[in-house]
Amino acid sequence: MKRLETDVVVIGGGSTGLGVVRDAALRGYRAVLVERVDLGQGTTGRFHGLLHSGGRYVVSDPQSATECAEENAILRRIQSAAVEDTGGFFVTLPGDDPSYADQFLAGAAKTGVPATEISVAEALRREPRLHPGIQRAIEVADGSVDGWQLVWGAARSAMSHGAKVLTYHRVTHIEREGGRVSAVLCRDEKGGEDVRIECSFVLNCAGPWAGQIAAMAGAREVEVVAGRGIMIAMNHRIVNTVINRCVYPTDGDILVPVHTVSIIGTTDIHESDPDHLPIPRDEVQQMLDAGEAMIPGFRTARALHAWSGSRPLIKDDRVAAHDTRNMSRGMAVIDHSERDGLSGMLTIGGGKLTTYRLMAEHIVDAMGDQLGENRPCRTADEVIPGSEDRRLYAVTHRLEEREADRLDDPIVCECELMSRSMLVDALHAQPNATLDDLRRQLRLGMGPCQGGFCAARAAGIACSEQVADAERATGLLRLFLKHRWIGLWPILYGPQVRQTALDHWIFAGTLDVEHLPHPEQEVVR
Amino acid sequence: MSDVVVIGAGLAGLTAALRLARSGRSVMLVTKGPGGLQLSQGTLDILGYTPERVERPLEAVAAVASDHPYASIGADAVGAAVAWLAGALGPELLVGDPARNLHLPTAVGALRPTALAQPSMVAGDAIGGRSYAVVGVRQLKDFPADLVAGNLARSTAPDGGALAASAAWVDLPARPGEADPSPLTYARALDEEAFAARFARAVAAAAGPGDVVALPAVLGVRRSGVWRQVAEVVGRDVCEIPLPPPSVPGLRLYEALLALVRAAGVRIVTGSRIVGRTLEADAVASVTLAAAGGPRQLRADAFVYAPGGFESGALEVDSFGAISEPVFGLPLTATDAGPLIPATYWGPHPLFAVGVRTDAAGRPVDAAGAAVHPNLYVAGGLIAGAERWREKSGDGIAVATAVRAADHITGGTR
Repeated sequence: MKRLETDVVVIGGGSTGLGVVRDAALRGYRAVLVERVDLGQGTTGRFHGLLHSGGRYVVSDPQSATECAEENAILRRIQSAAVEDTGGFFVTLPGDDPSYADQFLAGAAKTGVPATEISVAEALRREPRLHPGIQRAIEVADGSVDGWQLVWGAARSAMSHGAKVLTYHRVTHIEREGGRVSAVLCRDEKGGEDVRIECSFVLNCAGPWAGQIAAMAGAREVEVVAGRGIMIAMNHRIVNTVINRCVYPTDGDILVPVHTVSIIGTTDIHESDPDHLPIPRDEVQQMLDAGEAMIPGFRTARALHAWSGSRPLIKDDRVAAHDTRNMSRGMAVIDHSERDGLSGMLTIGGGKLTTYRLMAEHIVDAMGDQLGENRPCRTADEVIPGSEDRRLYAVTHRLEEREADRLDDPIVCECELMSRSMLVDALHAQPNATLDDLRRQLRLGMGPCQGGFCAARAAGIACSEQVADAERATGLLRLFLKHRWIGLWPILYGPQVRQTALDHWIFAGTLDVEHLPHPEQEVVR
Repeated sequence: MSDVVVIGAGLAGLTAALRLARSGRSVMLVTKGPGGLQLSQGTLDILGYTPERVERPLEAVAAVASDHPYASIGADAVGAAVAWLAGALGPELLVGDPARNLHLPTAVGALRPTALAQPSMVAGDAIGGRSYAVVGVRQLKDFPADLVAGNLARSTAPDGGALAASAAWVDLPARPGEADPSPLTYARALDEEAFAARFARAVAAAAGPGDVVALPAVLGVRRSGVWRQVAEVVGRDVCEIPLPPPSVPGLRLYEALLALVRAAGVRIVTGSRIVGRTLEADAVASVTLAAAGGPRQLRADAFVYAPGGFESGALEVDSFGAISEPVFGLPLTATDAGPLIPATYWGPHPLFAVGVRTDAAGRPVDAAGAAVHPNLYVAGGLIAGAERWREKSGDGIAVATAVRAADHITGGTR
């Protein structure tokens, strides 16, 4: 068994965990983050990409609104590479109550969320696909944010301050000595080794899995209510501005332009198992109807991929357990010393990606209180590696890069303009990565063809670069195709059927991938 | 006015047009684009999996389920149709035996069953004991030589024997300063003898151990026999391995068939879609061509509709899951896609077996089994009952159904 010693173990590689490990490292704590799979593979990678202006909460949750507005401004400053300044509109659709916009403007003024009503004509000029019958439009400072760039940026920042970030490390047990947490035991899933991390504090940032982690420390049951939502990525930027429906928060009321796609979301359904989140067809239909209400003709646009994510809401006695929409989006911290007589551990639930830095600040403050220390938070001031130039992301950046290197470097994924060098560098930096791990960082296979052309190339390059032998490269290809399909079959209609037929022609027809000799053991990670 | 209008320039449409024209009919071929052969392997598959690997395709054709497109045609007619087309194209383009499958390496190193293949490919047939010297071209991103060789080396030949393989690379730009060439860039470069000679010398110098030198299928698109030139210099047998689209071997077949069709007197209209039809009683009187300047009616005595299936957009699924054939509004074997789309990737995908059911003459039928239009025939991927890519049956179905339609129109007279 491998042994490590540290001050604090952060459990969970989503935005909360990465925010926390960065914060702790910047305050001078020795910190180790463990994540059972890859960074941003849970809730953080399964949202709609919205960087909240706060507008969404000005009426329903004023405190969240203010926090969002402040954190939005901070993230643009410290993590510009992950943020696109799309701007946002709140629009009153035909049939929606136009007086809600007045409540909205009043709420925005009260919460400090910048919001300006613009004329319908101006809104339609800037977003010509919007429903021409909209009644009112309010401009806000929404943006879009790449959750994976966000967590990897935070990870690089934390590591530059001495933190360790261990992916594919599954927590198996949390040891206590008397009334105090003393060590976290993990399984290194790729290395096949057990790891024991001795520590004086544990921060449980496992999101929808936080209840399972708390139980490993012997804490009384922590009820995390998984509020599942589905999202659909539509081909192209149907809009270039985030479009919110100007109503009390409801299902299917947001369309976010992110990278080369636009994402419509979302639903909110109670689920019990965060490892099995379905994408039901009726919810897909509901999203398409919602899209059609905002953008006439939405149903004839091409849907590329769908996914399902789970909000990690800690159960709150004030609302019924099934009503996840009305639980606080604010963070909840469970102090196990009061509750379970277990010191040295905090469990965090709730929150949202836009406020991940602020949440981390509160959590590490709370840890400091328990440790009797007062180290100041520095995360709002230090720019995250990769964002030093303070240049906000723009969808045209990759085109600019490929224009520059097109005579030297072939493009492996044409849809997402991913060059061979980008893939090769990532393969050597993370030789154990699956193609999905690389996809989250590089956008490999996330465009219209959904891996039809690039997946076999990527497997071939992994083999040629000797990070995988033919058997593992084949396994990686099989795993990637299997995973892409999970998000394809629920939205298979329109031009994506034709694309899928072509992809089948390539993989089944031309390459006959199905009849390659199967690996001794199917590659799963 | 033509005797017959054929719609579609894939393998089915071109075969039907050729067969009809050679029977003395006046034929107009209308196509929106260059057809599906550019996406294909350039082989002529009959039946590769049932789902077990097939060694004798015509025997397997004789045993297909009753709703398979081959069922109403029969193994003899399928074999005769394929042999006829292979004869028309000649042995410079297609060789092999409709009764016996070859097992040819793919561009990931699988062993793909096919009946007829181009002569540049057949040396790759996976016979036990064979060893491959796989040679990739650094500039060609769709031929991963290491993966191909690695997978071949861990494969067993269908006859139970072992295979061996080595991998090597040549670094030879087809055009200077181009980092990202397509297979066609190489094929066009290799059409020139001087570049082909340089290429062959580079391959000879790089190739590792192996009886057969396996190369990406880019050995010329217009000039035939480039592979012989390379094999002579290398001093070993050479086999071409087809790549994902654009397919050079597919284009060879396309260009050759197009030339035969033109030589047979077929008038060809490209770049225009057929968007509808007019009827006289039950018969199709004309099809509507969306031409520049407005729709045009093309009248004929008979029509062969060979537009492909879902892959070409000839079959559509709307956002509610409704499946339709939008041009003729033909009855389909299923109309709701939802239950036909599986949640798991590996295994059957029944949606892609949906299509038009036909009578024994190849005419679309309604639910009662009656021909919808007495003079409308379908051929190729529009026909229901086969998942062509998984089975490796698309080419054989295209050719057999095209010949069937043509022969019914001509009354079997040739």
